Amino acid sequence: MTTLIATADAEARTDIQTKSFITRSVHKAVLANGLTVLTRESREKAVVATMIWYRAGSRNEEFGQTGKSHFLEHMLFKGTDRYKKGEIDLITHLNGGANNAFTWLDFTAYYFTFASDRWGAALEIEASRMRGTMFDEEEFASEKQVVQEELRIGLDGPWEVLENEVWATAFRQHPYHWPTVGWLEDLEAASAADMKAYYDRWYHPRNATVVLVGDFDTGEALQKIENLFGSIAPGPEAAPINIVEPPQRGEKRLLVRKETPVERLLIAYHAPEVAHPDSYPLKVAETLLSTGKSSRLYQRLVERDQAVTNADASYHDHIDPALFYFQAELKPGFNIGDVERATYDEIDRLKRGDISAAEIEKAKRQIEASLVLGSEEPLQQAILLGQYETIAFGERVPVESRGYLYLDTLLERIAAVTIDDVAAAAQKYFTQDNRTVGYLINEGKLDERENGRAT
Amino acid sequence: MQHSQKRVARPKLDVERVELPNGLVLLLSENHSIPSVSINAIVRAGSRFEPDENAGLASLVGALLDAGTTTRTSQQIAETIEASGGRLGTFGDYQSSGVVVTLLSKDIALGVDVASDLLMNATFPNEKVHQHSERRVAQIKARLDVPRTQASDAFNEIVFKGSPQHRPPIGYEETVKGLTRADVEAFDHRYYVPDNTMLAIVGDIDKSEVKSKVEATFGKWERAKTFEKFEPPQVPRPHRQTVPIERFIAASKEQVNIIIGHLGIERKNPDYYALLVMDTILGSSPGFTSRIPRILRDEQGLAYTTFSNITSSAGLDPGRFIAYIGTAPENLGRAIAGLRAEIARIVEEPVSEEELETATSYLTGSFVLRFQKNSQVAEFLLEAEVYGLGFDYLEKYPDLIRAITIEDVSRVARAHIDPRNLTTVVVGPIDELGTIGSSTDFSL
Repeated sequence: MTTLIATADAEARTDIQTKSFITRSVHKAVLANGLTVLTRESREKAVVATMIWYRAGSRNEEFGQTGKSHFLEHMLFKGTDRYKKGEIDLITHLNGGANNAFTWLDFTAYYFTFASDRWGAALEIEASRMRGTMFDEEEFASEKQVVQEELRIGLDGPWEVLENEVWATAFRQHPYHWPTVGWLEDLEAASAADMKAYYDRWYHPRNATVVLVGDFDTGEALQKIENLFGSIAPGPEAAPINIVEPPQRGEKRLLVRKETPVERLLIAYHAPEVAHPDSYPLKVAETLLSTGKSSRLYQRLVERDQAVTNADASYHDHIDPALFYFQAELKPGFNIGDVERATYDEIDRLKRGDISAAEIEKAKRQIEASLVLGSEEPLQQAILLGQYETIAFGERVPVESRGYLYLDTLLERIAAVTIDDVAAAAQKYFTQDNRTVGYLINEGKLDERENGRAT
Repeated sequence: MQHSQKRVARPKLDVERVELPNGLVLLLSENHSIPSVSINAIVRAGSRFEPDENAGLASLVGALLDAGTTTRTSQQIAETIEASGGRLGTFGDYQSSGVVVTLLSKDIALGVDVASDLLMNATFPNEKVHQHSERRVAQIKARLDVPRTQASDAFNEIVFKGSPQHRPPIGYEETVKGLTRADVEAFDHRYYVPDNTMLAIVGDIDKSEVKSKVEATFGKWERAKTFEKFEPPQVPRPHRQTVPIERFIAASKEQVNIIIGHLGIERKNPDYYALLVMDTILGSSPGFTSRIPRILRDEQGLAYTTFSNITSSAGLDPGRFIAYIGTAPENLGRAIAGLRAEIARIVEEPVSEEELETATSYLTGSFVLRFQKNSQVAEFLLEAEVYGLGFDYLEKYPDLIRAITIEDVSRVARAHIDPRNLTTVVVGPIDELGTIGSSTDFSL
């Protein structure tokens, strides 16, 4: 039997003031086979959330084989050498629990929530399906149809269609080029053997993190994890993915035509990866642009111009540089080019540093409060811990921000952001050459929309 | 295979109920696990109280609550809450309207102030009424972009004929355009009164402090001018259909969205618990253990999303029984036949012992998961008040569920599900007769 190796994290952290309540009382351990374990014992609610995170998402896929991470996620519910098909759901159900999974660019994660007197089944299932998942041809074929239906739902959603085109245009060589659900043509061509090979490459202890939050005893939980996962081989060393998207050399524009009663605008800028020094002022910019009705985009586009029903800015943490984007859903009769120009006006104000002290303070408080307000459920806490443990890694991330510790330094770095920092980041990233602009317009209406083109 | 344990974790809530002299009901519960608090205030009025020609009024009033008060502009309202990092939402739905504030517990006083200001002192400035109606018209148009919503709207129009529930709470383009500030004010004056309002405050609070604060703010709210007790108006009741109805709506989409069903039940129906078990067996359990998702999704691969239920829409008025599936157009016939077969089977054949056991285990065991967030607890307290469930409902619930037998499930299925008289609505690449691929005109 392998032994538990507690990392030096607890000691090393004594000089860092713990800022985030979520990281308080987190215990980190790494098993001899490389499996990372994060536990947060918290007895207030009689609930335990268990998760397992694999550092394998659409970023890990190749051209012609897109959508495999997501499809694999579906297959992990189809049975193992120990649990026959349907049994994972049945056990969850019998024990009154909830389970599901999600895949995105950088990761795939599985979760269970149970009342605290019956959570053990979750870990047993995860240990079994880490290496014991079956890839039965018949099951694979039937699940392929399910995934195709999921993809069709996306094709029927106007935002999904526009987002897919914008990412595919903005990224020409990095895997962020394709959507997590994959391209339909690749999905049709996928085989059970491909899926198994992909599983064998990424689903191993050294590429995974187990996270437990809630009403359990840490010592007992760690022993159980050791018993269940300790004997699994570490798996092959994951070859690093070093695909770098070259700098964009000029604005890209695209038009999607689809039957729709309302037009939509998406403006995307390449923006830095998780824990990059510029990511913090950009988070502040995202918040002051679009969080709440006092935010800039709401005040400008919804209240003043009254041109849109909804305007948003979003910027998420990813392993590699991704996109910072602006979205707007137009009211009929308004000009999409005008909305685009109004968005640039708001961006220019940021570039000029036209930000009040009260406004930047508000944005910082919103970021801090949302961490508390969005973390009431043990599962939400487990998601935050697991996500950063999975994406904040490697040489690019400062040691003190690696893994879940990112959540501590996040608040320190946000607190240190100045008006000048926001202006400098806006000037650096929100440039014409660095942007991709997508319009979604009503099918067949192109001729009438000539004056809608932005200059 | 592991079987469920008999012990059930029962959530315990320390609830205090206070009725202010003006009739406002206050429900309090403390939970100190996270330094946050949820304030949910509901007024017992919604689109069920509006006439057809004013469709969308309650929803518009709800949206306008934060558009200005006697002491604050819309921007000041937003700034006040958002500067603290908190979140504010206002709404007007079918059955109720109100304000929800979530904030850090140190800002509780601010949250109570703003919530009371919005409910008591909203001014509905003319230009905001105009601005919001315009935005609503655009949102109404955008519903056509979501085929499931389109199918649901069409289904409700048929099944709830004769009742206000046949309309979407957001209203229609023509009716929303016709709403005036006078309509908005009249609705506010009539229904936004203290003895028609309930307030739940849950989280990291001190109950007695919050009680004093609420008395100091909401206590000033006067009852309706007549000082009489608020009496709700009568709502017209829909009738269950006696013939099958089919409706096909052409839309340029990849999937066909199918809703099959008919009128449902009220929340206070004594068969609610047996129907909850039936829902769990037929089409409402998470994962793919219930029949419809297991057979149509997991075995036949027809859909990503498919489910059925009757209890989830049960309210003061009867809700709806629906089975839903979104699938590729070539599967239309199989999908409809599959849903209809499962609807008929639950009525005609008793469920198995194992299905009953699985469903009751799930319902009792998962109950605790519904009380993880302050807002969930607040919503439950309001629900318990509206439907008279009693705050000991949490302790009673497992027994209510465990008392259900196979015969109960058969009896309530026969009483409330009618496989011969179903409405079927399909939205997707079909024509008005339901023919696939023949439609060329997708004009909006």
